[in-house]
Amino acid sequence: MASLLQPDRVVYLVRGEKRIRAPLSQLYFCRYCSELRSLECVSHEVDSHYCPSCLENMPSAEAKLKKNRCANCFDCPCCMHTLSTRATNIPAPLPDDPTKTAMKKAYYLACGFCRWTSRDVGMADKSVASGGWQEPENPHTQRINKLVEYYQQLAHREKQERDRKKLARRRQCMPLAFSQHTIHVVEKYGLGTRLQRQRSGAPISSLAGLSLKEGEDQKEITIEPAQALEEVEPLPEDCYTRPISLPEVTTLRQRLLQPDFQPAGASQLHPRHKHLLMKRSLRCRKCEHNLSKPEFNPTSIKFKIQLVAESQVLLTLTNPVENITHVSLAACEEDDPDDINSTAKVIVPSKELVLAGKDAAAEYDELAEPQDFQDDPDVVAFRKSNKIGFFIKVIPQKEEDADVTVSFKIRHDFRNLAAPVRPSEEGADNPTEAIWLTHHVELRLGPLAP
Amino acid sequence: MPLFDGLGSGGEKTAIVIDLGAAYTKCGFAGETGPRFIIPSEIRKPGQQQAVKVVQYNINTEELYVILKEFIHILYFRHLLVNPRDRRVVIIESILCPSHFRETLTKVFFMQFEVPSVLFAPSHLMAIMTLGINSALVMDCGHTETLVLPVYECTPILPAWEALPLGGKAIHKELDGLLVEQCTVDTDTTTGQSVPAVIGTIPEETVEDIKVRTCFVSDLQRGLKIQEAKFNLDGTAERPAPPPDVDYPLDGEKILHVKGSIRDSVMEILFEQDNEEKSVASLILDALVKCPIDTRKVLSENLVVIGGTAMLPGFLHRLLAEIRLLVEKPKYSNVLASKSFRIHAPPAKPNCTAWLGGAIFGALQDILGSRSVSRDYYNQTGRIPDWCCLSTPPPESLYEAGKTPPPLMKRAFSTEK
Repeated sequence: MASLLQPDRVVYLVRGEKRIRAPLSQLYFCRYCSELRSLECVSHEVDSHYCPSCLENMPSAEAKLKKNRCANCFDCPCCMHTLSTRATNIPAPLPDDPTKTAMKKAYYLACGFCRWTSRDVGMADKSVASGGWQEPENPHTQRINKLVEYYQQLAHREKQERDRKKLARRRQCMPLAFSQHTIHVVEKYGLGTRLQRQRSGAPISSLAGLSLKEGEDQKEITIEPAQALEEVEPLPEDCYTRPISLPEVTTLRQRLLQPDFQPAGASQLHPRHKHLLMKRSLRCRKCEHNLSKPEFNPTSIKFKIQLVAESQVLLTLTNPVENITHVSLAACEEDDPDDINSTAKVIVPSKELVLAGKDAAAEYDELAEPQDFQDDPDVVAFRKSNKIGFFIKVIPQKEEDADVTVSFKIRHDFRNLAAPVRPSEEGADNPTEAIWLTHHVELRLGPLAP
Repeated sequence: MPLFDGLGSGGEKTAIVIDLGAAYTKCGFAGETGPRFIIPSEIRKPGQQQAVKVVQYNINTEELYVILKEFIHILYFRHLLVNPRDRRVVIIESILCPSHFRETLTKVFFMQFEVPSVLFAPSHLMAIMTLGINSALVMDCGHTETLVLPVYECTPILPAWEALPLGGKAIHKELDGLLVEQCTVDTDTTTGQSVPAVIGTIPEETVEDIKVRTCFVSDLQRGLKIQEAKFNLDGTAERPAPPPDVDYPLDGEKILHVKGSIRDSVMEILFEQDNEEKSVASLILDALVKCPIDTRKVLSENLVVIGGTAMLPGFLHRLLAEIRLLVEKPKYSNVLASKSFRIHAPPAKPNCTAWLGGAIFGALQDILGSRSVSRDYYNQTGRIPDWCCLSTPPPESLYEAGKTPPPLMKRAFSTEK
């Protein structure tokens, strides 16, 4: 029976947009909606960024600026391990006395795994331990920025046209005094609505329909269109005869780590700053409350808010909450739409079971008073603090089935102790009312003994 | 690059640009000069060694939904590190993408990740945005196929599309066949074993790596001689001297000897003309023939080649030479008057050019919203507009959220008078 404790033996049904069956350890419990939630029915959000090697938290504004890369740590371009900074002493002439040489510290990057160093690609040693290494810049940056500015100007004009047209259309309902102006405006720009109506989703036509028109006082940004080349460089002749040495040619994965350059030769592989990781927070989609919010500090694995189902919902046989809980079990009906997996009939105890509350001090208190529950020995096998063991009868339906699976419903009462205290107008309103929750549980009992 | 590139002109956050290719996915932010990540388009399920490809058109919608959801989740939370709810999405797609794949992708974005809006941008159109020109004949050499689409004055000439299933996938298959047939493997104990005896089948990643590191495209003269030597039946044609062999280390102590003759001949499948006389070069000429006469000169002098397969060393040179050779044939020379061909060099690597175009477009915050499909529109209609489907309702009424829609539109939706 210890196999019953394995995580995927007992699954709970989550009624979200999709029916998901998952063990309780992978579920969350929203105590505002009083429902189980799985990872698919919550929305994930990025909470905080941190570097995986130096474990430094990075505020999101800085992360955005640095393109989600750590400022201090580098990745080896060959094997993607973290690079470490090493120092050597090199003789260097003193600034005031060129004839004498003194030992200066020089720093270079080295990989402990594949023995790559920054000197292999020709990066000079730096005199400061961190902050000296720069990533190379994309040579096309200027041209791309100019293109963006040019198109932004066209886009701005398109937006203005659209706004003016909207205004013109609306104003046609207004008194005659204004309509002359609007007709004049529409005529001046002269384009019919057919041409300019930009339908979303239609294959996007360009912005060239609006070439820059005069009459605006901003200066026009023009761009010279790219020139096509008549000839392309051919392959070098020695390509057909030169033997290749494979370590000098980069693999595809190494090239794709640097999308801007994608160098073919290993001597051009520059290290990049290490990419950050992030911590995720989960939010219930219906009530928008947080189900799980991690700590800010990257080194801490605790959570600020953690509504894991195991600590809220009844585990089979164990009562995690601190009040006395009443449990009643019910077998599934004949045509229960949730009951698709069970291959055996189950007869569950029909009486209501009572579980004592969890008492954290109980395990240390050996002289605890015996709990005063009248247990029917046919139903209850044992009882210890907040645990109970009970009998169910299983009648397998088919002989040849590999796994016997039973499903039944657990109905228990739940008190929402953390619900916000409403200002009670009735005065005597008890905020900790019990609500009854029903869960559909499936139990995989394992193969039949032959 | 402006310092505060995170703050747009209206305070709106920069959009996400994703190019979901069959082999690799390029993802990043709008307004940047290159994608942040180029990752293989596959997901790994725990416990399975074989990765599952994301871009599959033949599986049923539910499995596709699950796979896409997992992949987009990894994109957002491992690579881009942003909240999906805050940023608009620009997806670069091929115009031949099947509708059900698009719809499933849209459903994943809107239902699961709740993005504000989605824009599907055709890759060929986006490629010319990187050049600042309005017309070009764009050829996309990708993994599954090579697709040519002319664009004139920023409008795709849809009837003139041409495609062939000659891409990275075909090259891998050919290379795999040649390696298994002709090459030998040395292990630490034996030499000269045949490939299937030692390792069974070669994994696709290894084939791709061999292709990238050792193979190249020969120039025209040499290529033609290699093709003759391959197809000749009387044994007179002689093959030019092959390049040196390469010893390619497999895992463990096995070494695969890649024959030199494979290195330069495997790429010839792109240029061999099969029975219908179609090759990658003839696609361009066929597309030109289908275009209106007035456009042909402009298009032939503005060729743009994008896609990962175009990054093979020697490919562009060979392509231009083949086009110039083919245009002399009577089939084309009778129809095409101008024989001048020029090719552009976009400001990005060919596999990122379409992505860059999308990034430039995504940076235009003034109009990105109006051209995208918003979540409200999707919730109301339940579909995404497609170029091949004419029954989509016009969306103007849905944009002025908060303002009263113009009376004309209202009547289009409601049944009352």
